[in-house]
Amino acid sequence: MSNLIEMKKVKKTYQLGETEVHALQGVNVKISKGEFISIVGPSGSGKSTLMHIIGCLDIPSEGAYHLQGEDVGEMNGDQLADIRKKFIGFVFQDFYLLSDVTAWYNVALPMIYNRVPPRTRKERAINLLEEVGLADRINHLPSQLSGGERQRVTIARALSNNPEIILADEPTGNLDSVTGEGVMQIFYKLHEEGKTVIIVTHEHYVADQAERKIRLKDGMIEDEG
Amino acid sequence: MDRGFLLESLRSAIEAIKTNKLRSLLTTLGIIIGVTTVIAVISVISGLKTQVASSFSTLGANVLYVQKYPWVMGGAGIDWWKIRQRKDIGMDEFRALKEYGSSFKYVAPQITYRYDVKVGNKNARGVEVIGTTEHFPEIRDQGVKLGRFLSMDDIRYKRDICILGQDVVNTLYPDENPIGKVVRIKGRVLTVIGILKELGDLMGQSMDNVVVVPYTTMSKFVGRRRSITITVLAQDEEEASEEIRWILRRLRKVKPGEDDDFSINSSGAITKQFNELTRTMFIIMIGIAGISLVVGGIGIMNIMLVSVTERTREIGVRKAIGAKSSEILSQFLLESVMISFVGGIIGIFLGFSLTKLISTIGNMPFGMPIWSIVLGFSFSFFIGVFFGIYPARKAAALSPVEALRYE
Repeated sequence: MSNLIEMKKVKKTYQLGETEVHALQGVNVKISKGEFISIVGPSGSGKSTLMHIIGCLDIPSEGAYHLQGEDVGEMNGDQLADIRKKFIGFVFQDFYLLSDVTAWYNVALPMIYNRVPPRTRKERAINLLEEVGLADRINHLPSQLSGGERQRVTIARALSNNPEIILADEPTGNLDSVTGEGVMQIFYKLHEEGKTVIIVTHEHYVADQAERKIRLKDGMIEDEG
Repeated sequence: MDRGFLLESLRSAIEAIKTNKLRSLLTTLGIIIGVTTVIAVISVISGLKTQVASSFSTLGANVLYVQKYPWVMGGAGIDWWKIRQRKDIGMDEFRALKEYGSSFKYVAPQITYRYDVKVGNKNARGVEVIGTTEHFPEIRDQGVKLGRFLSMDDIRYKRDICILGQDVVNTLYPDENPIGKVVRIKGRVLTVIGILKELGDLMGQSMDNVVVVPYTTMSKFVGRRRSITITVLAQDEEEASEEIRWILRRLRKVKPGEDDDFSINSSGAITKQFNELTRTMFIIMIGIAGISLVVGGIGIMNIMLVSVTERTREIGVRKAIGAKSSEILSQFLLESVMISFVGGIIGIFLGFSLTKLISTIGNMPFGMPIWSIVLGFSFSFFIGVFFGIYPARKAAALSPVEALRYE
């Protein structure tokens, strides 16, 4: 299997007021297409930073990151936006849905930025909502949905441009364990369909479902596999 | 720009404005006031101009009115005391202009008094009685519609005759032909020989409430003499004006370097004076409008900065799902333009209503030039872009990670 993601000696340093924060201190990661991976570690271990870099929301301060053979470290803001749009679907702990539009419109939003024609957009958004089990919630506003339902909308949104990678940041963090389990089943299904699924979490029952666990501590990979 | 994206930006802008209705309205207040002022000032002044132009056109082009006082006393450097001390204009001046003037088509005196005109127990009160000569119709471009006008002999022999204006006919002879009948003015019996064509109103006053008599006849019943008006029909206003000044300054012994001690009024001059007056008014009002537009613009900038801060996370999400900086910029710019535009539309509507109100109360013609609406729209658009660009750029420049992390 070819390497979808390849990081070499990636460092990330933040300026937080007067102090420098070394969030990542030389991380080497290889992820192949279709893998189901969890990134775990205590808070402050750098797992969010790693996720941001994998998701092309940020670039490394040092080291190299190749996504599908392309050097992300050399890209400008618009190129990164383009990569995110086409290759990566984000699932956030707090869902981050637009509160003033319906579920299907939220799902269709990434397709607007991807210049998908309107009719295709709605059709596909509805299909995706059906796939995550929300066929009867298409025209609901986020405020009319439960936490688990909102997270499914977010997953549907992440899938809307048919990305290679699904990147989830604590996707079950705001859900009870039963609902969280339901969400995890969707991720598992996506993995079986061939998507690369990467989940950042601190919950063991979530992390244990992944094929591979990347454990971070103090900005370094402590354990892999 | 892509249609889907544009529609999404529009939707988002409308949503943002709808969610904060009161805030948006207060924000646009400056724009509303500015655009309202611009529209109202332009419309009222253009309405006034139309009215002044059409009113004074009834006075006839190329007609000069030589009088003691100017029609419009405005502007700097006017010495009121001196003007009040001017000598009256009298028949000597008329005779001098008639004798020495070479560039005039016609010259005629107009001696004007207000008298009651009576027949039996009918009384037309406060009629403008004008003593003049046979050239009155040419100068005023107003002939008779029935009967005849004054002749040279009528003047020479001081005949007791008169020509009535339509208003006077309506009062004194509503049901019969007055020609050959008589009227009484100050106890004097005058035979009616004609009826003047109607002129209508000038600045809300009827021009047909008149009686014309030979000026020689008039001197028989006028008591204390007053300054008269000498009307001149000129070939060329400038040339005739110069000639009048030349003749009258010598006659009235005005020393070189001193100001004229008489006024040459004309519809052209009054329009010019009016334009000068309105120009000053215009500049002041546009200045006020400009200030409120700038204040409104700053308000928009302020509220957009608030909006960007409030929606930092949304910006982060949009960027995460693939929005480019330019797309975030367009979205927020569209929002500020929209807020400004809404203000512009309200302003145009209020300006329209205000103009309508003023024209109704002031009994003026209603005119709202299309270009004032275009100007209102352009102003609000320009303000929206100009003051929206900074907040929009701030939104566009946010780093996705920090925007997502924002609490």
